[in-house]
Amino acid sequence: MADTKAKNPGAGASRQEPDPSPITLLEKIRSRGRAWEDLAVQYGVTNPDPPWKVSMFSTCEALAIRDCLETLDRRASEDDLSETLYRDIPQPERQLMALAHTMIRRGLVDEDELERRMRQVHERLTSA
Amino acid sequence: MAEKHKAAPMVDEVSDFEILEAAVRELAIEKGLFTADDHRRFTEFAHSIGPLPAARLVAKAWLDPKFKKLALEDGVKASLQVGIDWLNPTGFGTPSDYTDLRVLEDTAKVKHVVVCTLCSCYPRPILGHSPEWYRTPNYRRRLVRWPRQVLAEFGLQLPADVEIRVEDSNQKCRFMVLPMRPAGTDGWSEEQLASIVTRDCMIGVALPHPDRKQDDKRPIHPAVHPIQHDHGHDHAHGH
Repeated sequence: MADTKAKNPGAGASRQEPDPSPITLLEKIRSRGRAWEDLAVQYGVTNPDPPWKVSMFSTCEALAIRDCLETLDRRASEDDLSETLYRDIPQPERQLMALAHTMIRRGLVDEDELERRMRQVHERLTSA
Repeated sequence: MAEKHKAAPMVDEVSDFEILEAAVRELAIEKGLFTADDHRRFTEFAHSIGPLPAARLVAKAWLDPKFKKLALEDGVKASLQVGIDWLNPTGFGTPSDYTDLRVLEDTAKVKHVVVCTLCSCYPRPILGHSPEWYRTPNYRRRLVRWPRQVLAEFGLQLPADVEIRVEDSNQKCRFMVLPMRPAGTDGWSEEQLASIVTRDCMIGVALPHPDRKQDDKRPIHPAVHPIQHDHGHDHAHGH
């Protein structure tokens, strides 16, 4: 596997207190996003988890194995955000929001570039 | 005439959460935080794990005293016999949280139950993904303070003279429970025994029962007093 460590801005960072102040992009997602539990009922599907859940799990693992976001650090931040800012969002959407929040606050991704990428992904996934 | 094939229902809508997950992943790969190959390998690992290897370990221990001794002394070595290599669980590396497995033996007077008070450490290679409730602060905080009451909430009422030991997982060590073999299973094969060792039995919040299998359909009980949903109208609530 390629050595990606040298490029990681968060590599070696010590554990940080999460910043629970709202992030504009994630607040937009909160207001218009539809959670899997609603979609599953509407479309009559029975699988309890959205198809993207495993992919999110793999992103968390890959960030940890490459020293970008240590597992305990991520979970501590997720716990904190889950009890405050994102407490009204169901799982696993809450975990995803906490992950994105933590990555933005740590400078692993930039809010504006994430918003631009979301527009591109939306166009791509709804183009057919 | 060919029988008409009816497609299974599916969600025909892309949610903002689905888009967010994809955007985070793609940006992380583009920035070199990890590789697409890292992600794919973890996804394959995630799809391959479940509680069956742990159920087989329990069944083997029930049948073979020598294997049981090994399982209690060296959980990592015993796991190899059910196809799990703790030193290389993903098949491509050794994350720091997969270093040891301890098997906790229940007796008539001691019941073990597993938690992770700090986060959600769980013996994933051998037991699969943790259930949602295992990750909740509610379970993690309350189990260590009021184990008997929390087990009762799971439907497990233990006699007062049974000691409850709560084992707190950590980054270096994972735990699973070896429950007592239930009565009514004499002469059963390893496969039959493994089929009644459910995930919850190995976390410690349930006991195996000869009539309850891993893949049983769980009963759905209709609500006695169902709430009438009416989303089409606003309601005035008097509080």
